[in-house]
Amino acid sequence: MRHQSRYLLAIALAVAVIQIGVLASMIVSRAAILRDGREVVLEVHPVDPRDLLRGDYVRIGYNISSLPKEIFEGVSGETGDVDGSAVFVRLEAGEGGIWNAVSARFGEPPSAARAQNQVDIRGATPIGNVSQAQLIAVDYGIERFYLPEGEGKSIEEGLGERPFRMIVAVDDSGAAQIKAFYDGDTLIYREPLY
Amino acid sequence: MAGYLDTVSKDIARWRAAGLIDEATAAALVADAARHHRRRFSFGTVLAILAAVLLAAALLLLVAANWEAIPRLVRVAGIFAVILAGYAGGAILKGRDHSAFAEGLWIIAAVAFGGGIALVGQMYHLSGDEKDALFVWALGTALAAAALRSGPLTAGTVLLAGTWMLAVAMGGGPGRSVPLEFPLYAAVLWAVSVWTASIAARHLILLSLMLYAALLYLDDEALVVPALLAAVSAGAFAFGHFQPRLADWLTRLGGGLMVQGLLGFIAGMSIIQVELHEGSYFVAIAAVTFAGIVGALLMAGRDSRALRWLAYAGFIFELGFVYLTLLGTMLGTAGFFFAGGISLALLAWFISRIERRMAASTGDAGSGAGA
Repeated sequence: MRHQSRYLLAIALAVAVIQIGVLASMIVSRAAILRDGREVVLEVHPVDPRDLLRGDYVRIGYNISSLPKEIFEGVSGETGDVDGSAVFVRLEAGEGGIWNAVSARFGEPPSAARAQNQVDIRGATPIGNVSQAQLIAVDYGIERFYLPEGEGKSIEEGLGERPFRMIVAVDDSGAAQIKAFYDGDTLIYREPLY
Repeated sequence: MAGYLDTVSKDIARWRAAGLIDEATAAALVADAARHHRRRFSFGTVLAILAAVLLAAALLLLVAANWEAIPRLVRVAGIFAVILAGYAGGAILKGRDHSAFAEGLWIIAAVAFGGGIALVGQMYHLSGDEKDALFVWALGTALAAAALRSGPLTAGTVLLAGTWMLAVAMGGGPGRSVPLEFPLYAAVLWAVSVWTASIAARHLILLSLMLYAALLYLDDEALVVPALLAAVSAGAFAFGHFQPRLADWLTRLGGGLMVQGLLGFIAGMSIIQVELHEGSYFVAIAAVTFAGIVGALLMAGRDSRALRWLAYAGFIFELGFVYLTLLGTMLGTAGFFFAGGISLALLAWFISRIERRMAASTGDAGSGAGA
């Protein structure tokens, strides 16, 4: 019995270590994007001024959240079907330091060689067929900004009136990570690595 | 369940008084019933698990509140500590024969793992990753359930897997959205539930597969899915009825297999009827459904109260459905009340007939054994 319970304790510790390891690796991979990813600056758009604050996060959109169909490759002209839901969007810094989408492709990065001043960011679209669409919605996994409970009001109100910018880190695979949040030129939040 | 022990004790006392059994047998029977009963169900275990669920929910809400007073690295460390202490403490309590508290601590640890995933998402402002988060949580919990041989964790894993399946199916996106690989996960979880001896987990797996079939049908409206669900369920029912030993050995659900079979049959036939309610086959399909429910009642209703009530409920549901489909268009409101009254009277007559028949056959069996 004593032997058996020691055995069970060892198994339990192994389970705990594996689960803690999974969580730690998630943290490390996110921190790696922050540390090593290239920075792009995006303009923040309020998604819906009346419904910005849902519980404990602000829902936000960007200047690249809705893209014209013309810049997309990989759309079948006749049927409008797309190759999977993954979208790669090529960004380039424009005037005022805000990065804009120059091309995009379903399933893989745009076929033209990527220039030094460009970054490919990976997203997903909820649309399966784009024959009717003029604008294609793309989510990048950075559409929420979590706030301490009850502190979202000022950002929620400010978003409707003033321009906000987000600095986003993007790694080689295109994964994006929120890095810093600006109200005009004022830094309101900078993501610590850990 | 406490009622069962009362009933059987009274019966044993009566048999003893009537001289059917001697004092030693009576004592042995009461002791055996009490022992068996306690092993299957204990309020202590249930309360310990409810307490664990409450504490775990508090932990999740604490994470969700994103409380500034606790620096986030401290929050991460806290979650890691709860995971470690929960699993290790549970293992120690299990070794000291405090099984209920051990399971409770393991539940808290497994929920803390899910809370940790949520915390990482909050720390790095991730959006749209709920399905992946649920999947990783289910995977981690499945690992813990199998490694620690925990029944409650197995049932928890099935709930997480079902939630994941529902989230993926409801998530929209291009093409077919129900995860086609779900039956594979269900099979793996079934194997885990056999290893951890969790009947509850197996029942939940069967329910999640019925939900899966319904969602699959909603995706492409192919009638073959509910037809298959009804046919397989009817087959499982028949298997449980005609080969009870083999069925119980294979599924280890006891009489539950037949209840699940009837439920699956009613679910599958309901979907088919909703789809074909304007077609000319409707009457035939409704007749098959009625026949199936009544057949199940006659075959197995005597032995299982759960099956009996499910059959009554299914019968009433079917009656209402047929009325709304066939007659509702022809009769007015007055006709509805009239038909409803007549239907209920017929139903009452039918149910009392069935119950009398069952009482009579139970009586036969009893007198046969007595003679």
